[in-house]
Amino acid sequence: MRISIQALLLFSVFVVATCGLVYELVAGTLASYLLGDSVTQFSTIIGAYLFSMGIGSYLSKYFNRNLIAWFIQIEVLVAVVGGSSSTLLYLLFDRVESFRLVLYLLVALTGILVGLEIPLIMRILKDRFEFKDLVSQIFTFDYIGALLASVVFPLFLVPFLGILRTSYLFGLFNAVVALVLCFYFNREIRWATYLKGTCVMAILFLMAGMVYSDKILAFTESLNYPDKIVYTAQSPYQRIVLTKNSHDYRLFLNGNLQFSSADEYRYHEALVHPGLNGIEKPEKVLVLGGGDGLAVREVLRYPDVKKVVLVDLDKEMTHIFTHHASLLDLNRKSLLSPKVTVVNADAFQWIKTNTEQFDFVVVDFPDPGNYSVGKLYTNTFYNQLKRVVAPGGQVVIQATSPFVAPNSYWCVVNTLQAVGFRTLPYHAHVPSFGDWGFVMATLEPGFKLEKEFLPELKFLNKATFEQMCVFPKDMPGKQTEVNKLNNQVLVHYFEKEWGKYLN
Amino acid sequence: MIQSFKALAGLPLAGSILNACVPETKKVIPGKLKGPDFKAGHLLRKALSVVPTQTETKDVVIIGGGISGLSAACWLKQNSDQDFCLLELEEETGGNSRGGKNAHTVFPWGAHYLPLPNNDLTELLAFLQENEVITGFNAAGLPIYRDECLCFDPEERLYINGHWQEGLVPNWGVPEADLKQINRFLELMAEMKQAKGTDGKFAFTIPISASSADENFRRLDKLTMAEWLIQNKLTSDYLHWYVNYCCRDDFGTDAKDTSAWAGIHYFAGRKAQAANTDPDRVLTWPEGNNWLAQRLRKPLEKHIRTGKLVYKVSLVKGNVAIDYLDIAQNTYHRILAGKCILATPQFVNERILNIQPEQGGNRNYKAFSYAPWAVANLALESPPAGRGVPLSWDNVVYGSKSLGYVLANHQQLQIYPENPVITFYLPLPDEDPAKARRMAYEKKQEDWAELILAELEKAHPFIRENVKNLDVWIWGHGMIRPSVGFIWGEEKAAAEKPVLDKIFFAHTDLSGISIFEEAFYQGIRAAQRMVEGKA
Ligand SMILES: Cc1cc2nc3c(=O)[nH]c(=O)nc-3n(C[C@H](O)[C@H](O)[C@H](O)COP(=O)(O)OP(=O)(O)OC[C@H]3O[C@@H](n4cnc5c(N)ncnc54)[C@H](O)[C@@H]3O)c2cc1C
Repeated sequence: MRISIQALLLFSVFVVATCGLVYELVAGTLASYLLGDSVTQFSTIIGAYLFSMGIGSYLSKYFNRNLIAWFIQIEVLVAVVGGSSSTLLYLLFDRVESFRLVLYLLVALTGILVGLEIPLIMRILKDRFEFKDLVSQIFTFDYIGALLASVVFPLFLVPFLGILRTSYLFGLFNAVVALVLCFYFNREIRWATYLKGTCVMAILFLMAGMVYSDKILAFTESLNYPDKIVYTAQSPYQRIVLTKNSHDYRLFLNGNLQFSSADEYRYHEALVHPGLNGIEKPEKVLVLGGGDGLAVREVLRYPDVKKVVLVDLDKEMTHIFTHHASLLDLNRKSLLSPKVTVVNADAFQWIKTNTEQFDFVVVDFPDPGNYSVGKLYTNTFYNQLKRVVAPGGQVVIQATSPFVAPNSYWCVVNTLQAVGFRTLPYHAHVPSFGDWGFVMATLEPGFKLEKEFLPELKFLNKATFEQMCVFPKDMPGKQTEVNKLNNQVLVHYFEKEWGKYLN
Repeated sequence: MIQSFKALAGLPLAGSILNACVPETKKVIPGKLKGPDFKAGHLLRKALSVVPTQTETKDVVIIGGGISGLSAACWLKQNSDQDFCLLELEEETGGNSRGGKNAHTVFPWGAHYLPLPNNDLTELLAFLQENEVITGFNAAGLPIYRDECLCFDPEERLYINGHWQEGLVPNWGVPEADLKQINRFLELMAEMKQAKGTDGKFAFTIPISASSADENFRRLDKLTMAEWLIQNKLTSDYLHWYVNYCCRDDFGTDAKDTSAWAGIHYFAGRKAQAANTDPDRVLTWPEGNNWLAQRLRKPLEKHIRTGKLVYKVSLVKGNVAIDYLDIAQNTYHRILAGKCILATPQFVNERILNIQPEQGGNRNYKAFSYAPWAVANLALESPPAGRGVPLSWDNVVYGSKSLGYVLANHQQLQIYPENPVITFYLPLPDEDPAKARRMAYEKKQEDWAELILAELEKAHPFIRENVKNLDVWIWGHGMIRPSVGFIWGEEKAAAEKPVLDKIFFAHTDLSGISIFEEAFYQGIRAAQRMVEGKA
């Protein structure tokens, strides 16, 4: 059965219109998502888009021959540009200085291409319809398409497919229409083979985009931050991003907030001082993780400390915290102190071969969100940790939030106990993190805590610390399994608890 | 204007799409083809007629440095003062538990794990304790295993219906009816685990020889595993895949060619309990069971001679004459020994054992058939990922001919192991193993590389770009095939009988299933018999 030429072309008008509007909505949504201020974004994008369609319509008069071939060619271009536009926008967001320019260029390009299509199709069909019918038909389909797009976009597409897949899907519609037209007009058009080839390639490309959109999204999401990005680096282990706004700096590792300069003092004071200030003449301190030098900054407040060893896997991290001017202000050049030795090594490997002992050990690893980092919270690791603690020494471990992830937090406590550490759980409120947990640990019969805190501290004093050791009724201690290399229960707890919290 | 617009927008875009989609010429993957007994067969034939002039004497000679030979030697060293040596054909001991290494990591070439051994295997537990795999026993007497040797989590994942699920028993997207059957099967196996025969012995245990003689169970050796499933109305395709996978994993044979007794033994033979882990765990090391082979070897350094091909074992004036070729020197030697243990497979014994039929040389070697295997080690740029459960120790693809791959770096304590190596296991089951073997020997490295990548691409479409090197090892006679009637058949029983109290036999093919524990006890039993005259 051969569908009538009119029906086919009108159907393509319908597809063009639907897809065109979808691309416009995608751009608008992304712009308001990435740049904020949705009213401005939407109205400027719609304006730019409509205006570009005008340019396209104007340009259409320069196309005089091979109209169908051109139509197909433009359709393919729309498919590719529109289909990949959201990915491009995501990817380029923190890469280029003037993201807006790219955004509007893309919108303009799509607009021009879509704008070319309607006049072209009118001219293709002009001898096949009465003029009044032509205009009426084309605009009817155009507007129906627009209606359809504007209804399904918020109701189905965004919630079920997500932005990236939506654009690829509509790109696919465009490309498929182009391919169908190729076959339909096989004999009438020039460059038929070339056009078919590009159609097929566009289809393959867009399908690949659809299939891998999750991966692309995971990658691009990690690139998006609310504030201005002042520094980014990709190390073999993680993506480091530093952002800045009017009142603070924020450091993100793989998209997870590490600290905000506005309240990190709370975290680092709570991490270091309770364990360190009770120790009589602490000479040697070990910091595992914490390549930002902020824990070291706190450690260096104690004049007795003669030597600090910092072990952080990531060279990039310690590099930016010894080179970036504002970060040097933040950590008070702690990593440049002659007392400090920075070792870039895998903490598990390092601790296995290390023979030195330390009076105080700070264990400040990333949260146990994957099996790799999870190894650093196992009984096997804590057994190694025991070897590096000097007699009379104390250890502190950051242990995620006891409020959001109680099983995770108490799993760290119980695992430390299982290898023979005595533990002192405590927690502090750090506004940008929430209620955050720490565990102090020692191999001695009791903790040394009696001394007053340094007066220069902004957050801690004795009374505050006493409160921090109290766990309120809604945060009681928990029985958990011991975290081992061969069960990694902590990663399972952590995924479950934070997963629930974030969804 | 139009022309320039086209030039600006159309062509470059079309061009870049073209570039992205036209497949580049396929990346060629470098690597080597390796394997044992390529040269050995040839040398054996050549040497057979040579009578060495150099002669030395020993109390005992052990032939073969696989697990069974090494374990025989260890037992001898600990329990006797006999003067002995061990002759091994290859440059390294270990046999099927060989390992290899590159600039970054070690990896297995054959056996790669030991399930937690049954608690009554006293000698094996003692060996593990000597080597600090067991660090002690709890109040209930259960062994405490060193955490570094227990397989880290995540242990296993299965790629099924487009997704990596946890564990190897299919469940992701599996219909309810199939799940029911799978559960029923697993329940049956749990029963078999505890089942005892009329003689009070476990129906299925390790070593196999300690299993019950009750005909009710031994009868299962007379049908295939596939038939047994059908008899029990277990018809689910998912279940059949899983059972077939297990048969290939342990025996290198399909369920339709495997004795049901052996097939059930896979699930029911192990009943270990441990103080600090659940029972279904395995012990593993980056170099696989080569780690164990190295520990077995350690106390034996002085006794081991590698690169020695034994080509003839005969009786000369009441002694055993062991004739061997020193491969490096190309010299021929004879050892006159009081006694000898052949810790070599029967297809080798068939060629080297030169004994008159009336003295016990009448053996039916035909009953012994071996499944060929291909094992590949792939050095990768970065760890393979995928949707679902992250990269695990054992990674299996549902429906694949292969057994999937094991991550050699999994047991490293490094947080982000760099330069990962995966070990890919491909049994080559066939009703006619000789044919499968011939076909395997004909293939070149390129052929294996393509075949292996095709299997891996089912789960990792872009893995080719990720592979830096792919070496393949062909085990022509990888594993004894426990075909129907073999395990409890006469031929096997006859083959393990010592010859005139002078020549003893130890090899996993005499157990009928190739696993570390069997090899370990084959060695001990032969040595014990020899020294103590025990049956
Ligand atoms: C691919 C593969 C994977 C496996 N995976 C596992 C696993 O994960 N877990 C497990 O428990 N088991 C596994 N196995 C089974 C493994 O075979 C046994 O665990 C065990 O290593 C067998 O030891 P063996 O001593 O009985 O035999 P072999 O390893 O066959 O030892 C025989 C030795 O004799 C030597 N030899 C042969 N001929 C001569 C001669 N003429 N002169 C001198 N020396 C000679 C050989 O070189 C060899 O070293 C696997 C086997 C294969 C092939």
